[in-house]
Amino acid sequence: MDRAIVVDHLIKNFEVNIKNPGLKGSILSLIKPQKKIIRALKNISFSVQPGELVGFIGPNGAGKTTTLKVLSGLLYPTSGFIQVLNYDPWERREEFLKKISLVMGQKRQLWWDLPAIDSLELYKEIYELPQHEYAKNLEELVDLLEVRKILNIQVRRLSLGQRMRLELIAALLHKPEILFLDEPTLGLDVVAQQKIRDFIYEYNRKYNSTILLTSHNMDDVINLARRVIVIDQGKLIFDGVLDNLVNQFAKEKIIQVSLSNENNIKEIEKIGKIRKISYPLVTISVPRQTVAFAAAELLQNFPVDDLTIEEVPVEEIIRKLFKGSIKIKK
Amino acid sequence: MKKYLQVLKITLQQEFAYRLNFIMWRVRNVMQVVLMFFLWSSVFSDPTKQFFGYDRTKILTYVFGILVIKAIVFSSRTIELSGIISDGTLGIYLLKPINFFKYWFTADMASKILNLSFSLVETAILFILLKPEIYFQSNPIYLLLFLLSLIIAVLLFFVTIFLINMFSFWAPEVGWALPFLFIVIVGDFLSGSVFPLDIFPRTFQNIFYSLPFPYLVFFPLQIYLGKISIPTTINGIVISLGWLIIFGVLVKYVWGKGLKKFSAEGI
Repeated sequence: MDRAIVVDHLIKNFEVNIKNPGLKGSILSLIKPQKKIIRALKNISFSVQPGELVGFIGPNGAGKTTTLKVLSGLLYPTSGFIQVLNYDPWERREEFLKKISLVMGQKRQLWWDLPAIDSLELYKEIYELPQHEYAKNLEELVDLLEVRKILNIQVRRLSLGQRMRLELIAALLHKPEILFLDEPTLGLDVVAQQKIRDFIYEYNRKYNSTILLTSHNMDDVINLARRVIVIDQGKLIFDGVLDNLVNQFAKEKIIQVSLSNENNIKEIEKIGKIRKISYPLVTISVPRQTVAFAAAELLQNFPVDDLTIEEVPVEEIIRKLFKGSIKIKK
Repeated sequence: MKKYLQVLKITLQQEFAYRLNFIMWRVRNVMQVVLMFFLWSSVFSDPTKQFFGYDRTKILTYVFGILVIKAIVFSSRTIELSGIISDGTLGIYLLKPINFFKYWFTADMASKILNLSFSLVETAILFILLKPEIYFQSNPIYLLLFLLSLIIAVLLFFVTIFLINMFSFWAPEVGWALPFLFIVIVGDFLSGSVFPLDIFPRTFQNIFYSLPFPYLVFFPLQIYLGKISIPTTINGIVISLGWLIIFGVLVKYVWGKGLKKFSAEGI
């Protein structure tokens, strides 16, 4: 089967005007505008198979949203080859637009002053959906997202979480083959976040639609996507299965022991770096290669009741990646 | 086609959601007409006197004509375009399988239908209260030309407003002010919605007639009142069509440039 998305050597530069502070700066920028080139995406390549759920992670300004905007056809790439469902997104052909959907956490597509159902009726016509198909899709989505009671309430009167769920319905009414989700959980509380996450997972499984999701909320990505693409400063620094990210970047493992007394508890720091002591539990991290040796050492010399060996949490690795404390080998 | 019918419906619904704004806008228009009615009716208190080619009946018809024609020509949703460009919501529209120009023209139509219905009711009420003498054009050729000029006026206003709103692509912070100033200065003054333009000296009139603005309100009313000859009317229609084409081409060109800008900066 064809690949759903192909991105090859994508580069995107933005040209922005810069203004020095103060009135003088304002006047100067009028007379002689100074331009600055911002290199948002620096040579990015990847491809996505139909039905995949891919998570994009990266700090603010890394280029996640820019990537989604290029893929959906809103931004014109500076250079590189892009193909989405065998279309050039930038042409924004009707057949293409009917097969995709972009949901942006901070932009709304529902009419603010009207109940959501009115907007949905409009989208039914815009996407030229037959009545029975519209009714069926709406019914399914309303059930999955549990929004039956709020369909007839003015959108402005709803909470952010309720609104987001309705936005998802508006975006999915036409059963897009590809769904781009830009920060879908932005500003939501934990419960609302979980609802959105469950839905995305369920939707991907049920309809086998391709989903690309950006979030700076790591829980979103870790819970949803098997495959992640990590972007930092416009560069792709990792693309693959989450577990591999850990294997590739985590140089340490974590050993947790439960001690029966705290006599020589201080001595433990000779074996590994202490992460946390809350007696009787002690957590240390040791280099990957020596983990077996360290464990044996602990069992021999300390009053150990219990011992577990774990991987460093993904969040921590990613955080370190962005802070630059893990070097990327190319 | 059904798409746009639904756009029409939802825009009407939305207009009703902003009842207060709408009513204030109508009140403003009615106030203006009432004010002009009293002004002109005292100037033309003698029904046999003529000034600037108007008698009492025609000038009062002009005043009432403004109310109806403004409702048809100036009612617009496209004035919101600058806001949509500067806050980036434009992206949402671009990703929908719908023609952007047709979308906004349809939205304008909704606004026109609503405003026209109100203006007709208002005219009827004012007619009963003030009992003005009204001029009825019965010549079918004039009526046909009047209709034609009105259609051109509607299209001309659409492209003009669209063009002005696109300034937001380059100056998002001043975007809203331009359409507003346009409506206040050009809409009210240069189009003849405050005074009939033929009270000005000949040279001024010639300048006005070469501009696109009189063709929005003044020119259609002149045809309705039968104040200009058929050749002058044809001449005016040609000029206004010329402006329509120029602005139409400009809209397409600037839109293309604007989208490039929009995509280059990713607002």
